[in-house]
Amino acid sequence: MARIVVDPITRIEGHLRIEAVVEGGKITDAFSSGTMVRGIEKILRGRDPRDAWAFTERVCGVCTTVHALASVRAVEDAIKISVPKNAELVRNIMFCAQYVHDHVVHFYHLHALDWVDVVSALSADPQATSDLAKSLSNYSKTSVGYFSDLQKRLKSFVDSGQLGIFANGYWGHSAFKLPKEVNLLAVAHYLEALEWQKEIVKIHAIFGGKNPHPNYLVGGVPCSFNLEEVNAINTEKLNLVGKIIKDAMNFVEQVYLPDLLAIAGFYKDWAAIGGGLPNYLAYGDLPTKGYGFPDGFKLQRGAILNRDLSKVYEVNGADENEIKEYVAHSWYKYEAGDTAGLHPWKGETEFNFTGPQPPFENLNTDGKYSWLKTPRWKENPMEVGPLARMLVSYAKGSQEVKEVVDEALKKLDVPVTALFSTLGRTAARGLETKLAARWLKEFYDELIGNLKAGDTNTFTRDKWEPTSWPAECEGVGLTEAPRGALAHWIRIKDRKIDNYQLVVPSTWNASPRDPAGKRSAYEESLIGTPVAKEEEPLEIIRTIHSFDPCLACAVH
Amino acid sequence: MKKKIPSIEQSMQAKGYSRRDFLYFCGVAAAAAGLSTTSLGQVVKAFETKPRPPVVWLHFQECTCCSESFIRSTHPIVADIIFDTLSLDYTETLMAPAGHQAEKSRDDTIKNNQGKYILLVEGSVPLGNPGFCMIGGKSAEQILKDAAAGAAAVVAWGSCASHGCVQSAKPNPTQATPIHKIIGKPVINVPGCPPIAEVMTAIVTHVLLFGKIPELDSQGRPKEFYSRRVHDTCYRRPYYDAGLFVESWDDDAARKGYCLYKMGCRGPVTYNACAVTKWNGNLSYPIQSGHGCIGCSEAGFWDNGPFYQHLGAFPGFGIESTADKVGTVATVATVGGIALHAITSNIRKQKLIRENMEESVTVHPFKGEGGADVEAAEAAKPEETKGGDE
Amino acid sequence: MAANPQTIPYRRIYVWELPVRLYHWINALCILLLCISGYLIGNPQKIFAANEAYQQYWFGWVRFTHFAVAYVFVFNFIFRIYWGFVGNRYAKWDRFILYRWDQWKELWDTVLVDVLQARVYGRKIIGHNNLAGFSYFVLFHIFLLQTITGFALYSSMSDAFLPRLFTWIVPLLGGDAWVRQWHHLFMWFFIVFTVIHLYLVFYHDYFEGRGTTSSIIGGWKFERDDNIKR
Ligand code: HEM
Ligand code: HEM
Ligand code: NFV
Ligand code: SF4
Ligand code: SF4
Ligand code: F3S
Ligand SMILES: [Mg+2]
Repeated sequence: MARIVVDPITRIEGHLRIEAVVEGGKITDAFSSGTMVRGIEKILRGRDPRDAWAFTERVCGVCTTVHALASVRAVEDAIKISVPKNAELVRNIMFCAQYVHDHVVHFYHLHALDWVDVVSALSADPQATSDLAKSLSNYSKTSVGYFSDLQKRLKSFVDSGQLGIFANGYWGHSAFKLPKEVNLLAVAHYLEALEWQKEIVKIHAIFGGKNPHPNYLVGGVPCSFNLEEVNAINTEKLNLVGKIIKDAMNFVEQVYLPDLLAIAGFYKDWAAIGGGLPNYLAYGDLPTKGYGFPDGFKLQRGAILNRDLSKVYEVNGADENEIKEYVAHSWYKYEAGDTAGLHPWKGETEFNFTGPQPPFENLNTDGKYSWLKTPRWKENPMEVGPLARMLVSYAKGSQEVKEVVDEALKKLDVPVTALFSTLGRTAARGLETKLAARWLKEFYDELIGNLKAGDTNTFTRDKWEPTSWPAECEGVGLTEAPRGALAHWIRIKDRKIDNYQLVVPSTWNASPRDPAGKRSAYEESLIGTPVAKEEEPLEIIRTIHSFDPCLACAVH
Repeated sequence: MKKKIPSIEQSMQAKGYSRRDFLYFCGVAAAAAGLSTTSLGQVVKAFETKPRPPVVWLHFQECTCCSESFIRSTHPIVADIIFDTLSLDYTETLMAPAGHQAEKSRDDTIKNNQGKYILLVEGSVPLGNPGFCMIGGKSAEQILKDAAAGAAAVVAWGSCASHGCVQSAKPNPTQATPIHKIIGKPVINVPGCPPIAEVMTAIVTHVLLFGKIPELDSQGRPKEFYSRRVHDTCYRRPYYDAGLFVESWDDDAARKGYCLYKMGCRGPVTYNACAVTKWNGNLSYPIQSGHGCIGCSEAGFWDNGPFYQHLGAFPGFGIESTADKVGTVATVATVGGIALHAITSNIRKQKLIRENMEESVTVHPFKGEGGADVEAAEAAKPEETKGGDE
Repeated sequence: MAANPQTIPYRRIYVWELPVRLYHWINALCILLLCISGYLIGNPQKIFAANEAYQQYWFGWVRFTHFAVAYVFVFNFIFRIYWGFVGNRYAKWDRFILYRWDQWKELWDTVLVDVLQARVYGRKIIGHNNLAGFSYFVLFHIFLLQTITGFALYSSMSDAFLPRLFTWIVPLLGGDAWVRQWHHLFMWFFIVFTVIHLYLVFYHDYFEGRGTTSSIIGGWKFERDDNIKR
């Protein structure tokens, strides 16, 4: 009974360690551990609630902005204000831009090398690759010359003997299934995507001043519109946003999705691997009628249990019986004992590192073994993320979502149940990106319409001064980060933060087991995964990467 | 297996540049470095023979936004850096292998390039407990020390590695520590949360282009990017000088782009290149998009008071006690104390006052000869002229 | 003129030489201007928002005033340091630095008489009493700190020689934000000092009747003949 240790898991955000028990070429048990902690929840106490967005935004620079959004919403919920229409639209645009960026980077730069053999691309035929590319989409860069130049560059890179990020990769592993031409195409688009991704985030720079870590504001957005001024967001800047959106839609539809479907076609076996938990949770987001009206959200809110798509349960972040966090296997302690479950408004963050002291070989997985707490919804372990979102919206009957999901299933010629898998997760992310790019355009058009109608307001002023707040109040900000359901809970006392708790998507997915011994999503999804070579854990990272781990987020 | 590593000239040739292009490139590089043409030969030599320098990029307590910022660089673009400029042998964010294979990449580079590799560090190191940050079962502190020992140059990316950043904000629960306090070597600090992409790539290319590290200030920051306050180069500065300020978010002044000082802008106390180099391909920076600078490249900026208040809070007095509040209270208390003192002295010293009064004499109106006459001179005069202005 | 038995003879004593008086009033004026301009720098007031930026430079003027006056303040202060070595006995440094035991005893005496009012009568000293001398000494240190922090802040806006000398202060205090913070706080020290100072001037004038107030203008104090040791 070998225990494989994969630490560090690379091409993710943060410090994740997987220990997996392999028996007869298959994983029979697995442990997921977050090995770095910062204590942001402790640091927030006693501070000005209006500053919290900046602190929490630094929880993660990959999904940057989403924590800022959750934070300003939590404060707005506590002090009871809603933001003007323009602020909602700008936030939605920044949200969608974040999705498109994060998902594309995940697919090409964090996930693709699990499926694409870079070395095999060296011997691909540029002509055949060009033909293939032309058959897949109308993207402009499909010439033979383009691919042979790239191949030359790649060759001289490999010949240099300095393989950089590609050194010690699993090249030639038997689990790689792509034809050479697809490999070369994917490598080409790896570089295209790397160059393109820096464009989409310019939307954040326009509205929030920079990316990563654009600026947010309790009560609205910090930017102002003025169509008679060069010193505010004016037509020129709006045109730039419009252009970036157009390019983004093009990139997603002509490059990302065709690549995704082409690659997925060769890995259909992974539609039966890595399914894991049968429960899915989404808070939903992208309000069209205000944050207070979830029915108007583009992404729907709800929970699915036991893969039963005929029923979607209501989810309420403020209900103290729904979401709770446990620390039985986490390096924390609770005043009420370590088997207790606490709703985040009552949450505690007290370190309790029980070892093993580094350097060590294995974690003590019977005891505490991770810096992540373990969240549960009505005691159920839940998977969150693009797949959960697509499933919840699909089950709730969202036409837009149904359309793209059904179309993709048809193209791949697989049943709906194929979604409950490693491949399904990766595919759902791509489909969601297609929607996010379309919605970018929709929200942008609406913003222009609103400005045209003379409404340039971006800020709700009445509760800005803390003196206008009640002595005590509490709020919750729910959102959907790229990796799944994200929420911040805040308690404000005497105008300062009394308690602040984050329950983050990767916390749901990557957490250690709960006091009842139930596994969370990562651990559960690894059960049954085949492992061809124990010393080259390619299959493990495929499934883990399909969640797009972010451990700085998960622990915070 | 070890192949000949191509020099920068060779990789330029491979990309279709001629020898003439190469010499021109060297000339520009040398001119930019302020080198005289006589030393051009040396630069050419350096570029002809230098392989891509091996680089180890470590991640500790961070949010990876420094890596994210890095890949946003518009000039040079990051693909060119990865393929032509550096040999990025270890970076958890982008490297293909995981686990033992990843660690092998790191350890091989360190072992085979002693004294020759560049160490880039993202994130702070928690000294509170080795368990606060562990990679591959080793503590962050250990990994850093091992990697720093043989490095030719060490760069601290971002405010985390340079100053400790958000995790070191009070009460710094993990004792997050900047790397220059851990390794006994000079460190190039590149603060910012994150630093500007083009600043990051400029700093690594500076070494390659000019064959030496950029000149640093007393805090280890390259003067090339950190010698000016945001405020000194801010395009809203004329409004500051004119006294035109945004008074409330999205007010008329905000829509005209007036100065954000009163909204808490930290530009006047923040050294960074934002207002000049700008972000995301020279597009914008916080102030340009309407939010004040939060001072993200300054040490301890998280604890310099609430972001929307210009003055910092005084520790121990709560978040709203600025110097002005403390001062006003002190002044009011002083005036109160003085009033009390004036009253009690008048009571306590009644006897003294009486004596002084008795000692006092009456003065006649000025007579024009020798100044005011006092009672002494007056004693001889008739009774009725006495008194008057007591 | 024969002395009347009721009459107490007083003598004029030249206490504050002209340089000290000049120093004092230049200093007082500088501090007033520095406090006003400094306060405005910290808390800019809204004016004439209807004007375009190019039509006004008022905040620039406030800052210019601050920096220009700061130089006057500093050189005036340096002059006073010099005068502490060459001036008359009342201006000398040993009046400010309490290095003898009896100076501390006298300080305590003043505390008992003037501050705590535990006794009604006290000794009278011609120049500063030792409590005053000591508080001026503390004040001089705050002058120094204000100068250091001021020039440290100024160093990032000026290439001049003097400010450049103070560049190293900034990292020492934990960044510009903290230098400003201290610089701003010290302003309040001067405000509090001035309030107390003025009160004490009036207090002494009233209870002692020796012409304290006018002394800093004309230089003369008045002392009972029988109090003067010759
Ligand atoms: C009694 C003496 C002084 C007082 C009461 C005073 C007061 C102040 C105050 C209250 C501020 C505003 C700080 C803030 O909140 O940002 C300030 C700023 C400043 N002071 Fe002074 N100051 C004095 C002397 C000096 C001196 C000697 C210098 C030397 C050059 C100086 C240079 C500065 C500078 C450079 C600033 C920052 C201005 C800016 O960034 O626009 N000050 N001062
Ligand atoms: C209208 C305002 C002021 C008046 C009427 C005034 C009056 C006086 C008087 C009467 C003395 C002599 C005290 C003695 O006998 O010990 C004196 C000394 C002094 N005052 Fe003032 N003062 C004023 C403002 C200030 C201010 C604003 C400051 C500085 C913050 C200041 C600092 C000093 C110092 C340092 C001395 C000692 C003089 C020396 O030996 O150089 N004064 N002042
Ligand atoms: N997990 C996570 Fe995040 C996301 N998406 C946060 O909410 O990545 Ni850094
Ligand atoms: S410096 Fe800021 S941006 Fe960079 S890793 Fe640290 S928290 Fe993230
Ligand atoms: S906006 Fe900030 S940096 Fe710009 S001039 Fe105003 S205070 Fe200075
Ligand atoms: S917040 Fe940071 S990004 Fe620049 S403008 Fe201020 S230093
Ligand atoms: Mg939490």
